[in-house]
Amino acid sequence: MKERIHKDVVIIGAGMAGLTAALYCGRMNLDTLVLENGIIGGQIANAVAIENYPGFESVNGGDLISTVQRQAENFGATIDEFDEIERVTLKTSPKLIETQEKIYEADAVIIASGMNRRKLPLPEEKKFAGRGVHYCELCDGHAYDGKIIAVAGGGNAAVDAANFLTKYASKLYLIHRSELRADEFSQRRLRGNDKVTILLQTEIKALRGDKRLESVEVLDKKSGETKTLAVDGIFVNIGVEPNTALFKDELKLTASGRIPAGEDCRTEISGVFAAGDVREKEFRQLTTAASDGTTAALVAEKYLAKLR
Amino acid sequence: MVKVYTIQSCPWCHKVKRYLKSKDVEFEELDIEKDAAAREACKKLTGMDWAVPVTTIDGEHYVIDFDKEALDDLLCL
Repeated sequence: MKERIHKDVVIIGAGMAGLTAALYCGRMNLDTLVLENGIIGGQIANAVAIENYPGFESVNGGDLISTVQRQAENFGATIDEFDEIERVTLKTSPKLIETQEKIYEADAVIIASGMNRRKLPLPEEKKFAGRGVHYCELCDGHAYDGKIIAVAGGGNAAVDAANFLTKYASKLYLIHRSELRADEFSQRRLRGNDKVTILLQTEIKALRGDKRLESVEVLDKKSGETKTLAVDGIFVNIGVEPNTALFKDELKLTASGRIPAGEDCRTEISGVFAAGDVREKEFRQLTTAASDGTTAALVAEKYLAKLR
Repeated sequence: MVKVYTIQSCPWCHKVKRYLKSKDVEFEELDIEKDAAAREACKKLTGMDWAVPVTTIDGEHYVIDFDKEALDDLLCL
């Protein structure tokens, strides 16, 4: 029999949105729990240098998120990153969050579960995962010191990963199926590095190797030419998917799998709020995640005040 | 003694360490980026270059990444 514990607010996800919400909820003296199934910080924990967060010229993602975590905890929020959520029931009052070990009864729930990196959609991906195919530059980049690295993707995350990996690579390919979407500053930095070859309008068709990755087969979509690039490792940054599987039976999701909620972060269910990248909106930045976390906490507090 | 092979910049390594601390498990951390002997030992154990985090209790059985269930089994938690 699992222990049942009441909380004013349960926040699902400990990225920037969730931790900012926790910081505000804590300051408003709400009994607040943050549950995180992955790593504290979410996507930002992997960011080597953040240069577009006001107040910092350049800050490591892990360092920034650790500070926000401490702020939230200093104001009384509790964070549990080891007790995985199994299911949620949001339409009841209180709302129920069942983890491996406990059942939390929450008067309000803030969903800030963020996004996960998309896997390379090739059948060989599983064979080479961890053996040449990687999703975390900070974790695995050092293994490729002096080696040939490829980065798949064309957004900010991909270009920033490529910029970071140039410190290890003897040669680096950035491979993207269309045009780069990363901001100009990051693109310029990458283009200015002699080790880097940027292959645009280029699709990765296959991964080759015996026990580990040895090459990638790519198709130049303009010329129709297929070629094989010898690479020791590939880092995949081809986008993200909203982490909403837990909520699909409780909330209507948009076509992209995100949670529909307005700028006030209110969802279709009273007392349930969506904040950060998981909320359907035009811009998903670290700053807007912090903004959503703030809004969701303040609106949740108003909701709780009316409830009592 | 439990050994955890890590590198400093790896967020999952930090999560494994926090988990072991939360369970009062004493462990020795070996940074394979700084310690070549530890790097070789980790490679010999897993057969993989640079895999982290790796947790082992006896130098024979090990868990790669943060896998709570596998860690609980390995360490009898």
